[in-house]
Amino acid sequence: MPDPRLAAHALVRRFAPGIGVAGIDLAVEAGEIHALVGLNGAGKTTLMRLLLGMLRPTAGRALVHGRDVATAGSTVWARVGHLVDHPLVYPELDGHTNLRVSARLRGLRGAAVRTAADRVAEELRLTSCLRTTAGTLSQGNRQRLGIAAALLHDPTAIVLDEPTNSLDPAGVILLRESLLRRAAAGAGILVSSHHLDEVARIADRVTVVNHGRVVGALAPDTSEIERAFFAMVHADDERLSR
Amino acid sequence: MNGLPAALTAEAVKSVAARVVRAASLFIVVGISVLATTLTWAANRGNEQVLAQLGPAADLAGWDRLLGVAAQVTAAGALLGFGVVLSWAIGREFADGTIAGLYGLPVSRASIALAKLVVHLCWTVLVGVLLTAALLLVGLLLGLGPLDSAAASGLARQFVLTVLSGGLALPAAWAATLGRGLLAGVAATIAIIVVAQVAVVAGSGAWLPLAAPALWAIRPDSVSGAQVALALTVPALFTLATVRAWRRLELDR
Repeated sequence: MPDPRLAAHALVRRFAPGIGVAGIDLAVEAGEIHALVGLNGAGKTTLMRLLLGMLRPTAGRALVHGRDVATAGSTVWARVGHLVDHPLVYPELDGHTNLRVSARLRGLRGAAVRTAADRVAEELRLTSCLRTTAGTLSQGNRQRLGIAAALLHDPTAIVLDEPTNSLDPAGVILLRESLLRRAAAGAGILVSSHHLDEVARIADRVTVVNHGRVVGALAPDTSEIERAFFAMVHADDERLSR
Repeated sequence: MNGLPAALTAEAVKSVAARVVRAASLFIVVGISVLATTLTWAANRGNEQVLAQLGPAADLAGWDRLLGVAAQVTAAGALLGFGVVLSWAIGREFADGTIAGLYGLPVSRASIALAKLVVHLCWTVLVGVLLTAALLLVGLLLGLGPLDSAAASGLARQFVLTVLSGGLALPAAWAATLGRGLLAGVAATIAIIVVAQVAVVAGSGAWLPLAAPALWAIRPDSVSGAQVALALTVPALFTLATVRAWRRLELDR
């Protein structure tokens, strides 16, 4: 069986009591969209940062394409795309230059740089922003540009933290279609979101995180998924307060 | 160093497009040229107040005076400009939040940090060429006489001083990394300038690496080769420290 695209094994990173990640096991398989849901401060972003090497774990292991994040080489990272916290968009550069810079940083060279930038701009309907300085773009278009920068090299492991933030409805639909296409092509996608209805539309698996731990899973086709989510979180809160 | 060519391309593109780099280039080249010109012109006309402020350059004449004044202004002014731009180049990744996007890439963060410093070095060389050319023009316009070998040596020292000032600003890159922003780098730059100025006034001489290049540019006979070479340890050490800090960097605050 092939390695999961992304995996966490007993992953721990503590900042303060109750904050951080407290022993998470998780796997994102090829061809799967795996959603992380949880309240603010639940540990979703910390988990993603650990999987991308932005933080070193206190204990446990984070794996990308079966390799430990701490020792993964350039060939492993060349197959990873992510947007966590802020988009990799420089305000002084126009849209096309931003995409070309990202393409080079993701290992593309020569003619592949322009081809990838043009293709992803077409896919995410960014062509009208390509000659505009990114600093003058709306927040939504900067986010869309950041998503394009994360996806332009066709990564097989994708990590997106709240990617629909600031996106307009058209952008949300474009992102949804792009992720579904990429998962169908074999990418493993880990995505966090507060929009449970959006998660239900695209995710194959939904993992609920609370106080740095996995507290359960929701079937994407669960009727009234929001109610089921809050019931799970409140049950965990009550268990901890006892 | 994974992906250094890609990192160099990215950093060069960002620097060329950045207004702060263009503004600092103008500040250093035009600012120092104008200051050196006006101070030399005033001193040549016997302005007592200006002569009192020029220190060792007051006893010089012709090209030596112009280049002595330029060296004094460069030691503080160019270092300030270089330090601010270096602080921006590092600190903006934290301030703009783009630092997160520099993880999880086939290009290592160590390569990105080194690329920033290499691009900074290239920029300081360009500024050094422009400033030296501007001072040559100023000297000819002020009628300081023909460009003899002594004047040519002085201009060459001015170029080296400008580039070394860029190197002496490298602690700003390390400080901006540790401080996760521009302010720590700017504070480090100001601290370097203050330490160098105070140390010279206190008579530490050229054994202080931060002061040696300027003293050498003004009075080359008073500074040994070893003392100038010692100044190179500052950029060397802080290049290593900055690259190491980027390699080990965590987004934990």
